[in-house]
Amino acid sequence: MTLTVEPTRLVDGTGVVVPLTATGPITVSFDGQHIWSFRPSLDGVPRPRGWFVPWPAMLRPYLDGTTRVTVLGFGNGHVYVDEEVRLGAGEGRVVVRDGRGNPLAVNKVGTLSRAFLSDDDETRSAILLGTARVLADLTEAGVPAYLNYGALLGAVRDGVMISHDCDTDVCYLSRHENPVDVVRESYRLERAMHARGWRTSRMSGGDFKVALRLPGGRTEQVDVFVAFYVEGRFFQLGNRSGSLPHDVILPLSTVELEGVTFPAPARPEAMLEFLYGAQWRVPDPSFRYLDPPDGVRRLDGWLRGFRSEQPRWHRWYATQGWSVPRRRSTFARWVHARIPREAVVADVGCGLGRDSVFFAATGHRVVSFDCVADARSRTTKRLRSRGLAPDVRKLQVNELRTVLAAGVELGLEEGPVVLYARQLLGCIDDDGRRNVWRLARMVGGSVFLELSTGSGPAQADGLLRRLDAAAVVREAEAYGARVVERTVGPEHGPLDQPDHEITRLHLTFAKETHV
Amino acid sequence: MSDVRSALVRAHHHRRGVRARLAALEQEVQEQRQLNRRVAELTDVVAELLVPLARNEPAVVDEIVERYRLSI
Repeated sequence: MTLTVEPTRLVDGTGVVVPLTATGPITVSFDGQHIWSFRPSLDGVPRPRGWFVPWPAMLRPYLDGTTRVTVLGFGNGHVYVDEEVRLGAGEGRVVVRDGRGNPLAVNKVGTLSRAFLSDDDETRSAILLGTARVLADLTEAGVPAYLNYGALLGAVRDGVMISHDCDTDVCYLSRHENPVDVVRESYRLERAMHARGWRTSRMSGGDFKVALRLPGGRTEQVDVFVAFYVEGRFFQLGNRSGSLPHDVILPLSTVELEGVTFPAPARPEAMLEFLYGAQWRVPDPSFRYLDPPDGVRRLDGWLRGFRSEQPRWHRWYATQGWSVPRRRSTFARWVHARIPREAVVADVGCGLGRDSVFFAATGHRVVSFDCVADARSRTTKRLRSRGLAPDVRKLQVNELRTVLAAGVELGLEEGPVVLYARQLLGCIDDDGRRNVWRLARMVGGSVFLELSTGSGPAQADGLLRRLDAAAVVREAEAYGARVVERTVGPEHGPLDQPDHEITRLHLTFAKETHV
Repeated sequence: MSDVRSALVRAHHHRRGVRARLAALEQEVQEQRQLNRRVAELTDVVAELLVPLARNEPAVVDEIVERYRLSI
């Protein structure tokens, strides 16, 4: 291949500029590590000097240091940029890797993930065999499940995994047409996978991830997506929708991928054309889905909405978790002085467990709740390292069934239960807050809340919003709360920084005795 | 002239009104769609938690509730 070097264009902390003549997919690497692919006409805006393509949002936190940026035309030999570039104020090299040091790249949905490119044969084999086991278990649970997306594309196109792909996805065709039944079936399948020993995490009403344990302690996730028809229109998670005849999927066929046999749609080529367009046979690392917006709206409405900010929290803990003080908060001491020795403390939104540790160390039974898996595991570790018994549970305040289950379980506790929620209300939306009041009514007794109030910007990268204390109190009272104590004034903020207005509330709720 | 102007103003307000009503309608449709998951969740709680609780002895209540929590 002959390399034609074009004049160097701009690369800086905002993005990349390539010539207006650049049309096909373009790849970007840092110090030789593949980072990102884009298509100028799709991802960029035309400027006098060329297409300006901004860095993807997920990549920006990593752009702090020096790196050799190489921007290449995919498959055509054009070198648009190949030079040392300083991004941000960092002194060292730019590092785009996960916590274990594995290289990450921006994938086709705009998030960062590890690409197969960086996996050894043993790991790739474990991923493929694990995916085949997931499909076998789903089939046994009663649904026609098939390999799909990048893994299917790799299997049909070359018989091998696509190097820039990052995961394996499987789908099953539901026989249900009502979204309620579609969601219930997905719940049933998740339980069936649990019963077979898999660890899972729910992403929406129609998809969950199954964790594959790989050699070396690494975990890889397999997405289990539902496909279904509503009044003749085909829907398939992620966000696909459109016209696809039943006989494209059923009866299932098989495909071979790196020596492993998988169930596949009846006509895999037709499925691939539906997913990737008529050009699906031509490799395109910059491929992006162009899903019908009304289909996405429907899927959002039917299946999603209970964990909208969770990925951002996950990222925040991964990148900013170090900034959370380890010592108990001043609010924890304030509450400790107001609760009986035998009180069970339900630390709702426990974060990294700083206050759970404090309450447990002062002799209370503590049940810690959080929606972020990483926060839960770090709280568990922290309690264990102090010789304290961890009881750390998932609570997704926007997922009513986790709220109701928590309410039932806390209602069965022997001692009086106090709900403790420091800076939780500012992190959740109106529906989530109403579910907190429902939980409080189920449990009954004291609720202690600390919130940032008054005017000012949101904190924690916009995830923690300031609230109107009077509105919060009015809403709580409408749910049956009585205000025992209310303080407002300058105090320690969420990360113990000075905050001009912190409101502390001690509420009580009468325990619900009827449904 | 003033009639034309007021007709234009009325038409402008009408267009704005239609757009606002359309946006409100879209929001209301989306709220209705969200009931699907809510109904599914409540049905799940009834079928997978309340029914087993009602069918079994009080002694196994803790176990049933814990099993439910770990399955969601």
